[in-house]
Amino acid sequence: MESLIANLQAQLPSGHRIVTISFSLKHSFSLEAGLVQEWIRTNRLLVLVENSTESALLIYIVSKNVADEFSLERTIPLDTEFKCEIDTASANIVTTDIFLKLSRKKVHLLFEMLPGFKANKFVDEVVKASEVANKKRAPPNFSWLEVYNPQLVWESTTGSDSEQPTSAATELQPSSQNCHDAIPAHLNHKSDSELSSPDVTAHRSSIATGGATPIAARESVVRYQMALRETAYTDLRQISIFLGTYNVNGQPPTSGLADWLSVDKDPPDIYAVGFQELDLSKEAFLFNETPREEEWLRAVIRGLHPKGKYRKVKLVRLVGMMLIVFIQEKHWAYVRGVASEFVGTGLMGKMGNKGGVAIRLDLHNSSLCFVNSHLAAHTEEVERRNQDYLDICNRLVFSTTFPSKAIKDHDQVFWIGDLNYRLSGDLDLLRVKDLLDQSNYQALLQYDQFRAQHAARKIFVGYQEGPILFRPSYKYDPGTDNWDTSEKNRAPAWCDRCLWKGDNVQFKEYRSHPGLRMSDHKPVSCLLECGVKIIDTVRYRRIYEEVMKKLDKLENEFLPQVSVDSTEINFGNVAFNEGATKILTVANTGQVPVQYEFIKKHRDSKYCKPWLACEPYTGFLMPGDNSYITLEILVDKRTAWSLNSGLDELYDILVLHLDGGKDIFITVSGNYQKSCFGCSIEALIQMHQPIAQVAPETVCQLEKAAYPSIDPGNDSDSKQPVLAVPKELWFLLDELYRRGMDTPGLFEQPGLSTEIAAIRKTLDESLPDTLPGSVHSVAESLLIFLETLKEPIIPFSLTQKALDGCGAFPSCKTVYSCLPLSHQHVFKHIISFLKEVLLHSSKNGLDAKTLVALFGSALIRLPPPNYPLGPSISLSLNQPHLDRKRCMFIHHFLVNDLDD
Amino acid sequence: MAKKSYDLLFKLLLIGDSGVGKTCILFRFSDDAFNTTFISTIGIDFKIKTIELQGKKIKLQIWDTAGQERFHTITTSYYRGAMGIMLVYDITSVKTFDNIAKWLRNIDEHANEDVEKMILGNKCDVEDKRAVSKEKGEMIAREHGIRFMETSAKANINIESAFYELAQAILTKTCGREQAEPLDRVPLDGVRSDRQSNRCC
Repeated sequence: MESLIANLQAQLPSGHRIVTISFSLKHSFSLEAGLVQEWIRTNRLLVLVENSTESALLIYIVSKNVADEFSLERTIPLDTEFKCEIDTASANIVTTDIFLKLSRKKVHLLFEMLPGFKANKFVDEVVKASEVANKKRAPPNFSWLEVYNPQLVWESTTGSDSEQPTSAATELQPSSQNCHDAIPAHLNHKSDSELSSPDVTAHRSSIATGGATPIAARESVVRYQMALRETAYTDLRQISIFLGTYNVNGQPPTSGLADWLSVDKDPPDIYAVGFQELDLSKEAFLFNETPREEEWLRAVIRGLHPKGKYRKVKLVRLVGMMLIVFIQEKHWAYVRGVASEFVGTGLMGKMGNKGGVAIRLDLHNSSLCFVNSHLAAHTEEVERRNQDYLDICNRLVFSTTFPSKAIKDHDQVFWIGDLNYRLSGDLDLLRVKDLLDQSNYQALLQYDQFRAQHAARKIFVGYQEGPILFRPSYKYDPGTDNWDTSEKNRAPAWCDRCLWKGDNVQFKEYRSHPGLRMSDHKPVSCLLECGVKIIDTVRYRRIYEEVMKKLDKLENEFLPQVSVDSTEINFGNVAFNEGATKILTVANTGQVPVQYEFIKKHRDSKYCKPWLACEPYTGFLMPGDNSYITLEILVDKRTAWSLNSGLDELYDILVLHLDGGKDIFITVSGNYQKSCFGCSIEALIQMHQPIAQVAPETVCQLEKAAYPSIDPGNDSDSKQPVLAVPKELWFLLDELYRRGMDTPGLFEQPGLSTEIAAIRKTLDESLPDTLPGSVHSVAESLLIFLETLKEPIIPFSLTQKALDGCGAFPSCKTVYSCLPLSHQHVFKHIISFLKEVLLHSSKNGLDAKTLVALFGSALIRLPPPNYPLGPSISLSLNQPHLDRKRCMFIHHFLVNDLDD
Repeated sequence: MAKKSYDLLFKLLLIGDSGVGKTCILFRFSDDAFNTTFISTIGIDFKIKTIELQGKKIKLQIWDTAGQERFHTITTSYYRGAMGIMLVYDITSVKTFDNIAKWLRNIDEHANEDVEKMILGNKCDVEDKRAVSKEKGEMIAREHGIRFMETSAKANINIESAFYELAQAILTKTCGREQAEPLDRVPLDGVRSDRQSNRCC
């Protein structure tokens, strides 16, 4: 991983530093990032780079085949438009993967990662970098990114506000935070009720070039597709939510709260009631203990709307900040995932005198979050308040839910509290009171710090607030409706506010409740109508099944597919030692790259019979590409006998296996022309006719009977008299005797393969008077004939003995006497022929040394590795040693007389 | 890394004489389609299909085999690992029915001992060419204690039910094991690790 970072870093311009990397799978890297696009997921490499104070994400396409090949797909500047979330949509599907949602303007990307330290670190770094961007005061300048992509022209975000839809209801801009964010804009208009055929072709090339793993991405694709179709299987049910906030200035509840909590005709479905300064005592601050919690809880319960039957969902308190959520009993069954959290932003940035408390819950298929906060006080502390808000946003995480959720990860967020924003300080107090006496709130709201900060998008981006048509909730002389007359003489301000964020929220009421006079604040409340998503199980089921069906279809389509031009390959007549080739064309007709291989059938040791070879036997094919496999058939001395004897036939079924897919059977066949080459002496001496004229079954019979009958005299059941030596051997020797004894270079010059083939054919088919071809071809044919005998002249069982006894003629003679009778005849025949050859050495130039070297390997052969002779054969001789011993053995017979 | 959007993976196998309609049965089930042109399967192919049974998502991996005689020795090596086998014959061909016994022997020799079996008499839409009565099919199934159904891939008769029934039988067996073993030991990938422990059910 370090080397990869170094590698990538080397490619980046100087000054651009890689912060962290997220990796694709299936390489030697440790982390996966799959980009989920519609139906498939493709591998990406995410790289976070920074250049001085700015950061950006580089997204590389990872090639599947070449581990180190990346091509830059896009760059995403981390500016204020950039959003990074852990996606938690459709929580009803259990998964252990992390879904990272990145969005900036119209770009929405959903990445899937394996959970773990590296993923966490990556996400942490991105979030950190994004926070830095949000706090940055200097105008963003991402022109440094142009080096990555010349086409990318940096466009400042300041002019981008027009892209945001504006809401007619309020002056604030809503921002959709639900799962629709991940949907590319062009998909939104698609029909929800039926599954439109996705444009997979757009991704074909990425599948082809590797990385696409539609099957592995199944879980994420289901999530994505179901989220895409949410409106098709959910209905909106309207519920009313009452938000109430009250800074009680440490006072106990001395009067009823009904004038605040139940002023509306109908009982709200949900109450979220927040308090600040519940207890100003040191004990409350230091030990977070206060009797006031219980007192106020009871007061609230008494003050709830009498027509509703409520159940407490949760109560959370941090020092003086308390939030209680109630829901009508009838909705309780649909509440899940209740959790609460708090964040202190007070003294030292963490004490609980300031900060926020929050409660979250899932109601049907919507996630709701309620926040009650008390931000820093005093007119001049605007920045401090802004910071408190940002700290709460960043630090408040519901960790008991899985995956953990921050405030922004909810469909709808309701934020109440004493936000403490005042009227800006340059306003004269008398003028304020004057305007208030005229109920000219709009004029005063021009000076409202909250509105100014909000309009500057420094706080509560995406939140909305109802129109303020009530007197400031602060600051009064307790017990009265009179403005503060204390020494401090605080200016009136709308400290206590109710805000919301999310889709389908309708504003109803926003007001203060001056009748409650216990505190120097007046309680404020806001009534909202919210659309909560309810899953229609029948429609959900149907759509879910459609999605699964579609996925099955895709999964099947993405299985490796090839077609072969033929599954039956017939080589026709095949002769000994004459190779033939056929081409098998394998075409990748599927949509994914294919790794193919001929595989072994269950008990076989090789994927094909020994007389066949496939080149290449394994390969990789891109979609649309062809592979040409050469099938070569060759019957040589290793395989001829098993074909002659009928133990084998020219018939094989190859299994062409596609990695992760099907197997194709390729039948290879041929008609082997039985030949005297590759027979056994025992069989040949019983064939009076050329082998081509002997019935194939008879050849098989003779061969099977001949082997391994090594002891002499086991020819009792043959009716015909046997030949002394194979007639083919006799023809070859005779031809050489007549034509070749004086030929220079006899046995040393190679023959012509065509002539050798013609000689073989002549011997197989006739009883010739003469053989075709040159002397050299005849000579080579003789050597080949001897080498291809099933059992060499010195049988394998005697090989060891022959080599051991090569030192002296008597021991060699003993070996000779152990030979089967037919072998003795052949041996004797050849020795006398060789002696004859040597008599002509002045003409043919041969000496004994050369001759024994040539015939040694033809007469004495090492048994094949699997030869069934048990452990007695321990021929661990090296080649020169072996050759010398063979030569010595033969040489004894050339210089001695066998009959002595 | 295998990501699972399913709870269980069942490997099923279609066997039977050449031309009885194994590929068509699979094609009907997986793609809900039928192709009248006969293309002999030369090899082993599979398709996947996700179904839901008892609230469990089950991924069926259904292997289609070459029926031709010459491939039998090779295809039997694919039996092992199959959790369910569908043995198909053609109700219009006595020969394919007579071979059932041979196929059953093949299963005994090469498949897992506890494999769930099912006999399908396919092409039941071609009543006028029927050569094997339904009773005969039922009888041989009863003799061997195997499920039986007459199906038609062409007319889409009993195809879904056959697969669901076979899957249900495997599920029942798997669940029986689930209760006997600690939950975390249940092989979710459908690989039967220990045959002996399966015997109890």
